Amino acid sequence: MSAMPQPNMSEARANATFDALLWTLSRPGLPRSLPEPGEAPIIEALLDRECRVHAAEPTLIPAIMRTGAEIAEIDRADHVFLGAMTAAADLAHLALGSDLYPDDGATVVVRARFGDGQRLRLTGPGVDGMLTLDVGGLPEGFWQARAERMRYPMGFDLFLIEADRVVGIPRSTQVEVL
Amino acid sequence: MTLKTLTKPWEAMSYGFLDGSAKREMRRKMLKSVAVPGCQMPYASREVPMARGWGTGGLQVSLTLVNPETRVKVIDQGADDSVNAASIRRFIARVAGTPTTMDTLKADLIQSRHRIPEEVLSEDQILVLQVPNPEPLRPVQPNMSIARQMHADADYGRMWLQLYEQIVRSGRVMQGASYPSLVNGRHVMTPSPIPRWDVPKLHMAKHLTILSAGREKRIYAVPPFTRVEPLVFSDVPYKVEDHAKLTCHRSGATGFFMNEIPQDDGSSTHEVSDSEWGVKAIRVRDGEKVALGETWYKDGEMPQ
Amino acid sequence: MAYVATRGGERAIEQSERLFRSEMGAIDGARVQQVKESLPYLVDRVMGEASLYDEYLAALALAQTGGELYEAVLLLRAWRTTQPRLCVAAPVEQDRLFTHRRISAAFKDIPGGQVLGPTLDYAHRILATEVLQGETYEPAAVDPAETPTPAYHPGVSAWQAENDLVDLPEPDAVLGNDIPDLTREPLLFPSKRAHTLQSLARAETGGVLALGYAAMRGYGQAHPTVNELRLAEAEIEVKHPDGRSFSAGRVKVSQAEVVDKKGEKLGLGYAATFGWNEVKCIAAATLDLNSPGAEKGSPTEEEFFLYHTEGVESSGFCIHFKLPHYVTFQSSLDAMRDARAKKAAKPKPNVTEPAE
Repeated sequence: MSAMPQPNMSEARANATFDALLWTLSRPGLPRSLPEPGEAPIIEALLDRECRVHAAEPTLIPAIMRTGAEIAEIDRADHVFLGAMTAAADLAHLALGSDLYPDDGATVVVRARFGDGQRLRLTGPGVDGMLTLDVGGLPEGFWQARAERMRYPMGFDLFLIEADRVVGIPRSTQVEVL
Repeated sequence: MTLKTLTKPWEAMSYGFLDGSAKREMRRKMLKSVAVPGCQMPYASREVPMARGWGTGGLQVSLTLVNPETRVKVIDQGADDSVNAASIRRFIARVAGTPTTMDTLKADLIQSRHRIPEEVLSEDQILVLQVPNPEPLRPVQPNMSIARQMHADADYGRMWLQLYEQIVRSGRVMQGASYPSLVNGRHVMTPSPIPRWDVPKLHMAKHLTILSAGREKRIYAVPPFTRVEPLVFSDVPYKVEDHAKLTCHRSGATGFFMNEIPQDDGSSTHEVSDSEWGVKAIRVRDGEKVALGETWYKDGEMPQ
Repeated sequence: MAYVATRGGERAIEQSERLFRSEMGAIDGARVQQVKESLPYLVDRVMGEASLYDEYLAALALAQTGGELYEAVLLLRAWRTTQPRLCVAAPVEQDRLFTHRRISAAFKDIPGGQVLGPTLDYAHRILATEVLQGETYEPAAVDPAETPTPAYHPGVSAWQAENDLVDLPEPDAVLGNDIPDLTREPLLFPSKRAHTLQSLARAETGGVLALGYAAMRGYGQAHPTVNELRLAEAEIEVKHPDGRSFSAGRVKVSQAEVVDKKGEKLGLGYAATFGWNEVKCIAAATLDLNSPGAEKGSPTEEEFFLYHTEGVESSGFCIHFKLPHYVTFQSSLDAMRDARAKKAAKPKPNVTEPAE
C-alpha cells in the first residue's frame, strides 16, 4: 500500500448514492440528490447476488440482473422497484418481515413527483416535530394502503424518487394526508 | 452480454478495504437499522485486519461510509490519542485516504468507543459507536434466541424487575455505563458502554448515531430526532455521574465527564475525559483563538 | 512505556509492533517453505480455523505471527474476506474422498477395510533429545504394503443405513450460490444445517475440544462411538464458464462420524474440516451428536457451542479486556459511591434514644 487509495467510479457512485439514501431515510421527508437520476444508482449501491428483487418496471430488469440478484415475486422480494405506480394494490403484497426479524421487511422504490399533489404531514423518528411535504404521481389510496399494512416494527421502507431526487419514508414514519 | 461487462479491473485491495459485496450488505443493514430505531439487525460482519472486540463493528460501518473527502475522528475513552483510537484512525486513513481530525467540530464521521464528545454534534455528522455487547437483556437472559423473542414481544418485564431489585437492595439503579434505554418507545437498546452522562445526548439529537457490534454481528441505529429514554421509575429519576462540580486539573474545565486520577497521598485529581475539549480549554486559557462548539452540558447540567 | 493515552500514542503502537516483529527477524520465502514442510499439521489446523485452504498463505501467516495461532488465523480470515468468490465447487460424496486413513471403532472390520494410514496413535511419546546433542533424527522409511489399499471407500454409516440401523439425513439438494454461507450471513438460531457444519469446520480446536470433552464426560446425553474417522483429500470440481467440469486440485480434509444408540436406531453426529485434525473432528461430531434436544444454555446446545468455539471472536474479545475501560469503570465507581453515601445518610431504624 503505497499510493493514496482512490475509489473507482462505481465505488464513488455507490458511496454517494448511499450517503443520500441514509441521510434521507434518517430525515424522512427531506430530499437528497442521487449522483444520477432514476433507479440505476440505487440498484448499483444496494443489490447483489444475495438479494431477491422484484421490478414492476421491465426496463429495470437488465440492470438488476447484472448485479446477480435473483428476480423474485413481489411477496418474496427484499427490494421492490414499483416504477410509476398505477394501483395502490401492489403494496398489499410487500414483505413486512417479522417481529423477530423486522429487517426482512422490503425496501421499496417508487417514482413520484415532489412539490405538487397531496399534502402530507410526517411525524416520527428523524422528523423534527413535524414536516409537510407535497407528493404527487402516486396512485389513489397509496398512503392509506401503506398505513393499513404497517404493523411496526414490521413494515416496509420507501424511497420516493423523481429524477435525481430521493425522499426516504421509513416504516417508523406516520404519514397523514392533509 | 460480454465478459467485459461482467468483470472489473483487478485491484490489489478494494477502496476502504471492504469489498463491494461486504459494503452492499452493510448499506442494506444500515438502512434497516435506521428504519427501526434501536432494533438490533443481524449482519454478516466480515473479518477485518483487527481483532474482534477492538472496534471491528464500528470499523465496518466507517469503512462503508467514508470517501476521500470524509474527515474522520476516532476516539477511545474520549481520547483521540489513546492507542487503539490511533490504530483505527491510522487504518482508515491508510485504506481509504481520508483526512483525519481531532476537532469534533471539523469531523464528518466520528468513530468512538465508550464516549460521546462534549460538543454538540450537527446534522451533517455521523457518530459510529463501537459496541461490545449489543444485547441489553443479556444480564437477565444470556441466550440470544430467547432474548430476540423477548424483543419481538416487547417483553421487558425482567429488565424492569432487575432495575427494581437494585433499587430495593442499594437504594439506586446500580447500572454504571451501558444504561438500557427505550428507543422510539418500542425497542430497549444498550447505548454501548457510554457513561450515563452521555445517554441524554442521544435523545432527540440532530445527528445520526450508528451502533455496531462486529463480534456479535448486530447493528442498530438512533436516527436524529428520536426518543431515547433511559429506563427509570417515575419516583427514582435518572441520575448521571456526579461529575458536574469536578474540575480538570490540567485544563481547568468544569462540568464535564472526568477521568479520576488516583494520587500517591490517597486523594484523587480529575481530568476531562473528552481529550480534545481539554486541549481546547488549555489553548483558550493560553490566549489562543479557538473555535469552541456549543456543549450539551451547560454548567454541568443537561438542559431538558 | 506508558499504558494509557498519552500524546505519542501513534509512535508507541508503532514501536511495540516493531518489538514483537524483531524477535522473528526477516521473513523470506525459504522460511515460509520450511514452516509449510516441517509443520503440516499446524498448517492444517490454521487453514481449518481460517476456513481458507492455502498451505503457503497459512505458512506465511504462521511465520509472520511467530506462531501466535489466534493471530495467524485472524490474518488469514482478514485476507480471505477481501477475496472474490469465483465459484462454488461441486459437492463431494464420501465415497469419492481420496482416503489416506480411515478407521472405525464400531466394528472390528468394515466394508473396504480399516486403513490405519499416518498416525502417532501408537507411537511412544519420547522426545528425540539426541537431536539437541547434535545428532540427526532420521525417521525410519515406510515399507510399502504388498497390495496398495484402495483409495476410495464407502462411509460406514452407509452400511448401517442399509441394515436399518441408522437414518441418514436427507440428501441436501441445495447447490451452488444457494448454499447458506456463514462467511456472508450471520449465524441465527435455530441454525441452518450448513451454518452449523461450517461453523464447526472453522471452530477453534481447543474450544471444540473443551466443550466436546465436557459432553463426553457426562454433560451431554450421548456417549460417542467413533463410527468412522477419515483423513482424506477431496477433489475440487468446478465448472468452466463454457459448462465443462474440471478439477482445480485436491485439498486435505478430515471428517468424523460418531454414533450413539437413540431408541432403536443410532443417532449420528458429523463434522468435517479443512486439513487433517482428528481431535477437532471427533469433538465437533460429538457436539453435533448431542445437540438435538439439548437444554438451552447447556454446553451441548447449538447456540452455546457454536458461539463459544468461534476462535477469532472469542480470542478477540478476550484480549480486548486489555483495552482501557476507565470510562465504564468510572461510571461504576460513581454508582457504588452514591449507593454507599445513600446508605450512610439513612437514619438507622429502631434505635431508641436513651431518655434524658
